[in-house]
Amino acid sequence: MSTTSPFDHRQDSELGDALRSALSADDDAQFAQRVVAASEAVFVGPGVPEQWWNVLTAWARPGLVAALVLVAAAAFWLGAWVNRDTSGPAANGTMLGDPLLADSDQLAVPVLLAGQSAPNMDEVLAVALGN
Amino acid sequence: MQDAELAALAQAGDREAFGELVSRYAGQARRVARAILHSADDADDAAQDGFLAALRHLGRYDPARPFGPWLIRIVANAASDRRRRLKVRRTEAIPPSLPAREPAPDTDTDRRSFREALLQALATLPERQRIAVVLFDVEGYSHREVAAILKVPEGTARSDVFHARRALRTQLAAWEGWKEETG
Repeated sequence: MSTTSPFDHRQDSELGDALRSALSADDDAQFAQRVVAASEAVFVGPGVPEQWWNVLTAWARPGLVAALVLVAAAAFWLGAWVNRDTSGPAANGTMLGDPLLADSDQLAVPVLLAGQSAPNMDEVLAVALGN
Repeated sequence: MQDAELAALAQAGDREAFGELVSRYAGQARRVARAILHSADDADDAAQDGFLAALRHLGRYDPARPFGPWLIRIVANAASDRRRRLKVRRTEAIPPSLPAREPAPDTDTDRRSFREALLQALATLPERQRIAVVLFDVEGYSHREVAAILKVPEGTARSDVFHARRALRTQLAAWEGWKEETG
């Protein structure tokens, strides 16, 4: 076997031939058949990765259905929100300001504040609840 | 047909293309696996695992690069993984001493003994040196390709090949005369 150095870029053919002879088997064709037979499971199963456009194509129909469902849900929600806006209690303007705007002589906010003594709890609740 | 074309066909499901790739690289893959694993059966199992793993991940193969180093790296990884698993299961020790050279009745026996001695000498090397010397001196890969397969710097691959050669030559010194007689 020839003398070599780490900087020698040539193959050591003598050692290479000896190693090749020691490591080689004589039934490579049989081995190849065995591997090809085993590969069938990979071909049939999910082993071979699909091309990205195939993956997208497969997802196109479920994707469209999901998008339609989302659009329908959004439309329903928007419709409900718009109806609530025009016909709900807020539309009458009677939510928070009502008790404060009540013009009852006895139970209006100014009357409560103008009194010398602290109003009792029943009066405060009556004003808050709009009588 | 080029390896890259066969790889593309195999990825698209062409069994024959994959079979052709296996036929082209069977010998190389088995030799690399045998350099890592001591049992021929284990090596073949690992080589098969490597081929199947390569088939599963053909999408990651860059057709602009050579197919061989990409495949052999997968095979080497499969063999290393198998070796680690086997090491855990059975703590078999490699006999540290080489078989003594005895007077052989015929050349075949002598050749077989030399083969065993060479395999045992190879088995005493660190795994990376084993792979490096087989890839470089047997399979004809360049230092750069060996480095890419082993995922080490080129200088490290160069050094691995050098040290492996030197160790093998030292351990097989007793056989030099025989090689001259029979070679």
